[in-house]
Amino acid sequence: MTAVENRPAPVLSTTPVEWVRERLFPNVASSIVTLLLLPVLIYVGYRAVLFVAVNGRWEVVTRNLTLFMQGTFPRDEQWRIVAQIMCMAFALGVGASTAASAAADRAREAGLPVARQQPLEVVRRFWPLIAFVLVLLYFASTVTPWLVVLGTLALFLLGTAARFLTASFRNVGWLLMALSVIAGFQVVSGTTGRSWVAAAVVVLIALWTSVGLEGLDRLPRLAARVGLSVLAAAIVFGVYTLIPLSGVGWDRWSGLHLTLWVSALAIVLSFPLGLLLALARRSTLPALRMLSTGYIELIRGVPLITLLFMGQYILGFMLPAGSNPSSITRAIAAITLFTAAYVAEIVRGGLQSLPYGQTEAAQALGLPPAKSMRLIILPQALRAVIPAMVGQFISLFKDTSLLYILAINEFLGVRSLVHAQPDFRSVAHAETLVFVAFGYWAFAYAMSRESQRLERRLRVGI
Amino acid sequence: MTSQQSDSRVRPPFWRDARVLRVVGQVIAVVVVFLLLRWLFANLVDNSRRTGISLDFGFLNRPTQFQIPNHDEFDPRSPVWQMVLVGVKNTLLASVFGVILAAVVGLVVGIARLSKNWLAAKLAAAYVEFFRNIPPLVIIVFFAFAVFLYGPLPNLRESIEIGFPGTDHNVFVLSLEQWGMPSLADAGNLAAFGLFLAFGLVIAVLVWRWRTRVNDQTGAPHHRVLWALGVLAVLLLVGYVVLGEPFRITWPTLGENRRRLVDGFAINAGFISVAGALGLYTASHVAEIVRGSILAISTGQSEAANALALNGFQRYRFVILPQALRIALPPLINQCLNLVKNTSLAAAVGYSEITNLTQASIGNGRPAVPSIVILMGVYLSFSLIISFMLNVVNRRMQLAT
Amino acid sequence: MKRMRLLALFAVLALVFAACTTGGDDDPGTTVASDTTQVDPGGEGDNGDGDGASGAILDAVLDRGSVRCGVNDVLPGFGTVDEAGDYAGFDIDFCRAVAAGVLGDPDAVEFVPLTADARFTALQGGEIDVLIRNTTWTATRDGQEGATFLKTIFFDGQGMMVPASTGFTELEDLADATICVLSGTTTELNLTAVFNARGIPFNPSVFADNEQLQPAYESGQCEAWTSDASQLASGKASIEEAGGEEQFIMAEIFSKEPLGPAVPDGDAAWAQAVEWSVMAPIQAWEFGLTAADVGSYDGEDPNVLNFVGADGFDPGLGLSPDMNVTIVEAVGNYQEIFERHIVPIGLQLEGSPNDLWSNGGIMYVPPYR
Repeated sequence: MTAVENRPAPVLSTTPVEWVRERLFPNVASSIVTLLLLPVLIYVGYRAVLFVAVNGRWEVVTRNLTLFMQGTFPRDEQWRIVAQIMCMAFALGVGASTAASAAADRAREAGLPVARQQPLEVVRRFWPLIAFVLVLLYFASTVTPWLVVLGTLALFLLGTAARFLTASFRNVGWLLMALSVIAGFQVVSGTTGRSWVAAAVVVLIALWTSVGLEGLDRLPRLAARVGLSVLAAAIVFGVYTLIPLSGVGWDRWSGLHLTLWVSALAIVLSFPLGLLLALARRSTLPALRMLSTGYIELIRGVPLITLLFMGQYILGFMLPAGSNPSSITRAIAAITLFTAAYVAEIVRGGLQSLPYGQTEAAQALGLPPAKSMRLIILPQALRAVIPAMVGQFISLFKDTSLLYILAINEFLGVRSLVHAQPDFRSVAHAETLVFVAFGYWAFAYAMSRESQRLERRLRVGI
Repeated sequence: MTSQQSDSRVRPPFWRDARVLRVVGQVIAVVVVFLLLRWLFANLVDNSRRTGISLDFGFLNRPTQFQIPNHDEFDPRSPVWQMVLVGVKNTLLASVFGVILAAVVGLVVGIARLSKNWLAAKLAAAYVEFFRNIPPLVIIVFFAFAVFLYGPLPNLRESIEIGFPGTDHNVFVLSLEQWGMPSLADAGNLAAFGLFLAFGLVIAVLVWRWRTRVNDQTGAPHHRVLWALGVLAVLLLVGYVVLGEPFRITWPTLGENRRRLVDGFAINAGFISVAGALGLYTASHVAEIVRGSILAISTGQSEAANALALNGFQRYRFVILPQALRIALPPLINQCLNLVKNTSLAAAVGYSEITNLTQASIGNGRPAVPSIVILMGVYLSFSLIISFMLNVVNRRMQLAT
Repeated sequence: MKRMRLLALFAVLALVFAACTTGGDDDPGTTVASDTTQVDPGGEGDNGDGDGASGAILDAVLDRGSVRCGVNDVLPGFGTVDEAGDYAGFDIDFCRAVAAGVLGDPDAVEFVPLTADARFTALQGGEIDVLIRNTTWTATRDGQEGATFLKTIFFDGQGMMVPASTGFTELEDLADATICVLSGTTTELNLTAVFNARGIPFNPSVFADNEQLQPAYESGQCEAWTSDASQLASGKASIEEAGGEEQFIMAEIFSKEPLGPAVPDGDAAWAQAVEWSVMAPIQAWEFGLTAADVGSYDGEDPNVLNFVGADGFDPGLGLSPDMNVTIVEAVGNYQEIFERHIVPIGLQLEGSPNDLWSNGGIMYVPPYR
C-alpha cells in the first residue's frame, strides 16, 4: 500500500456568515429559539438604553450621592472616611504585592516560571468594580471624588513597593498591612477605650515571630513570650495614650460605607466561630457534638430576618439593664451568629471530604491532635471549600440589605431617606432602585468572579 | 517481663488522663452553656417585670384588632392564633408556587446555558449572573415596580377581562391589585368528591406499580403514565356521576361596585410579586446547580447515548437528567429551604405572610418576645419537615454504596 | 507567612471586640455609666411602672453628654434627612429643644431612626431616652407598652384622601375599596374599628412606610389613603406639585391623634425635665417671644421674668435657670417651628386645634412659676 501523504492541518477559522450559521441557526429547533430571542433582546436593550440615557431622572442620584455613600455620617468628619479609604488602599497594595512576591519565591524555589500580572489583566479581572467607580464619578458633582480616586490609586501603587522587600523581610509587609487595616478602622472609630488591644496583638505577634524562640527550653520560652507580650502592650498603650483621637462610633455609620463594613466585620467574626462549631460537631465528645449540632440546625432553620428581629426586640431585654448595645451592634451580632452556622456546615463538608488517611498519617508522625489539625487537616480542608465559603460571604453581603427593614440606613435604606425629601417624593423611584441594585450587583459580581477564578486555579469544586 | 505487665495497668495522673479530661471537659462545656442561658433568661425575666412587658402566650386568645389585607373572610375580632394560621397558610402558598416556578425556569435556564446556540447560552448566563448577584429584597421590590406599580395593568375598577368569545363569563381578570381565575365551588358534595380523589390517587399509584412490575417481568411496554392517569380519570368521572354534580366551576367576576372579585379564585399583587420574584431569584441558583450536575456526568454517557442514536431530547430525558438529578438533589433541597425562608421578606410588598403579620401584631401592641418565639418555631418546623421529607426521597435515590 | 496572616486575622478580631466599647462614645471606655443607672428591679412591681430610681435617666444623659432621641427619618414635615445628611423636621426640633433644656446644647442629640413597629421596644429597652416620633397617646400604649406620654405637641386626626376625580366625599363611598395604610400604627387599628362599626367592608393594603405607600396610591393600586391629616396634607402637596392628579381630603376626621413625646415608665424626674423643655416653645409663643428677642426681654411681666430665668428663678426640676432662653433661642417658639416645618407641607396654624387656647385652639400649657 502506498503511504498516505501528510496533509496540512485543516484551518479552523470561521467567517462571520459561517459563525452565524453554526452558532445561531445550526438546526430547526435552535433557529426557532434564535428567532424568538433576538427581537426580545433588541426590545429590552432598546428600552434599557432609553431609560438609562434619555428618560432617566438621574439628578436624584447626583444630588444625593454623598447620602448614598455615607448616609447620615457627620459631613464635617468626612475626612475620616477619606483617610480610611487611603489606609485600606495602602494595605491592599502592600498585601497584594507581598502575597505576589511570596508566590514568586515559591515558584522560583520549585523551578516554575513566574507569571506577572499585567495591568490590563487587572482591569479585566475587576471590571464590575471599575465600572461602579466610573458610574460614581459620573454622578459626582464636586471634584472631591476624583481626588479620592486618584489618591487611592496613588497609595495602592505606593503599597506595591513592598514587592521590593526581600524574603527575610516578608513579615514586615504583613505587619504593615495589618497595622494599616487597624489604622484605617480606628481613624474613623477613634482610638479611645480598649482599642489599643488590636494593635498590641499585631505587634505582639510580630515580636514573637521575629525573635527566635525555638531554641529555648519550655519554661524560658514561656517567660520570653510573656515578657514580649508585656513589652508590646506597653509600647502600644504608650503610643495610643500620646495620640488620643476621638472618633465616630459605628452606630453612626450609614450608607454604602456601613454596608461594606458590616459585611467585612461579619465575615471576619463568623469565620473563627464557624470553624469552632464545625470542629465541635465532628468531635467525639457527645456533649460538644450535641450542643453544636443543636445550634447549627436551629440557626439554619430560621430566616435571617427573624434573627435580626430577635436581636432588635429581645436582645435588649436579655442583657442587664443599662447596657444598651446599639442597633448596629445587635445587627452585626445577629448576622455573625447566622453566618457562623453556615460556615460551620461548609467547613464540616470540607473536613468530611478529606481522606481519613491524612489523620492517620499525622498520628503516625506523633503529632498531637491540635498540631495535626493546625498543620495537616485544616489547611487541606479549608482549601477545598474556598469557593463555597466565598459564595456564603457573597450571600452575607447581599443579606445586609435586610437591615433596611430595621430602619438602619444602609445602602438600600438610604433610598427611603431620599424619597422622603420634598423634591423626590413621587418621582425617580425606579432610578434610585436601579442605582442601588447596580451597586450591589457590581460588588457581588466582582466577588463571584474572583471566586470562580480561584476555583479554576485551585481546580476544586464542581 | 513482670514490670512491663504491671506498667500497663498504671494510669497517668488524672490531670493528664485523657479519659478523665473528656468527661470533665464535657461537663464544663455543658455547665458553661447552661449558666449562660440561665443568665440571659434571668435578665429577660427581670427586665420584663421592670417594664411591665408580658412573656406569656395568653395574647394568642385575644382579638387581633386589625384587618388582614386581601382576606375578606377574616374578622378582626378573631383571636391572634387564627391570624397566625392565616400567615402560615400564606407562607406555604407563596413557597409552593415559588418552588414550582424556580424549578421550571431553573431547569430551562440551566440547560440553555449548555446549549450550542450562542444567543441562548449567553442570555442564560446573563440571567444567572444578573439575578444571583442582587439581594432578593431588591428583586422583590423591582418585580413589584415593574409588573404592578409602573406596569401596564389597569386598576381593579377597569380591569382587563378575558373570556371566551361566545360565553358571557370571564376566564381571567387582570388588574393591578388582583388577578382572578376560575375556581371550584361546593355544590353539595365537594368533600365526598375529595375522598374520591384521594381514593383515586391511591388506586393510580397501585396501577403504576403494577404496570412497572409487568414491564420488569415480561418486558412489555408499561405505558404506566397513561394507565395511571386513565384509571384516575375514570374513577373521577364515576365519582362525579355518582355524587351528582358535587361541584361547579365559578368564574371570576367583578362585584356590582366593581371593587372586588366575587366568585373565582383571586390572587393578589403581593403574592404574585413574592412568588414570582423569589421564583426567578431561586431559579438562577437552580440553574447553576443543574448546570454543575450535568457537567459532572462524564462525557462517556453522552457519547454512548449518541452511539445508540438517541436524539438530543431523548439523551437528556433518559440518560443525563436522571443521573444529574441524583447529584443535584441535596443542593436543590437547600435552595427550596432558602426560598421558604426568603418569603419572610414579603413585608416590602405588603403580602401577609407570617413574618409580616408578626411585625404588624408587634407594632400593634402584642408582646414581642412570645411572638418572635412563635415565628421562629414556625420556620423551624417548615425547615425540619421539608428537609426530612426530601432527605427520605434523597436516600431512596442514592446508589447503594 | 501563613501564620502571620492567620494571626493578623485574629488581631482584627481583637480590634473589633475592643472597638465595640468605643462605639458612639467620646468618653474613654464607658458605655452608659453603669453605677448610677442600674434601675433597681427590687420590689414586687407588677403594675409595670417599675420602681426605677427617679432621675436615673437624667443622670445618665448628663453623664453621657447627649440625649438619644427616637425619631422618624422618612416623614416629611416631622423628620427627614436632607442631601447634606442633616435631620430636619417638627419632631427633630423638639428633640433639640430637649437637648437644649437638659444639656444646654441643642446639638447634643443623637437621632435614632426607628420603625413604627419597633419604637416602643427601643424605649422599653433603654436604647433611646425619649421618643418624639409622631406617636399617638393611647391608653394601651401607656399601659402595655411601658411608655409615659407627655404634653401633646400636635393635635392631629385621622382622615381619608382620594383622587378628586373620583368624586367620593364620605367613608361610605369606599365600600369594598382597597385603602392604603401604614403598618403598626393607630391608623390601622382605627380604620378597622370605624369601618367595622359602620358596617362598611373594606380591604386594607398595608405598607411599612410612606415611601412604599405613595407610589402604590399614585398608581391606583389603592383607591384611598388613610393616615393622620398632617401626613395626608403633605402627600397631597407632593403629588400635586409633581404634576400628579388633584387630591381631595374628606371632611370627616374619624379619630383623635394627639402626638407627643414619650419617655419610659418609672422615671418622674426625667419625664418632668422633658415635658417642661417641650412646653417652653409653646409658652414663649403665648408670651409673644421669638428666637430673636427672648434673650433681650426687658419688660415687667413677672410671669415672663420667671420664664426667662431672671433673678435666677429655679423651680427645682434639676435643670439650669436659663433653660427656656436656651431652648427658644435654639429652635424658636412653637409658631416659628410650625411655620418652618408644617406650613410647607400644607397645614395652617390659625383655626386648627394647634392654635393657642386664646385664639380658639387647644394649645394650653401650665404656668412656669
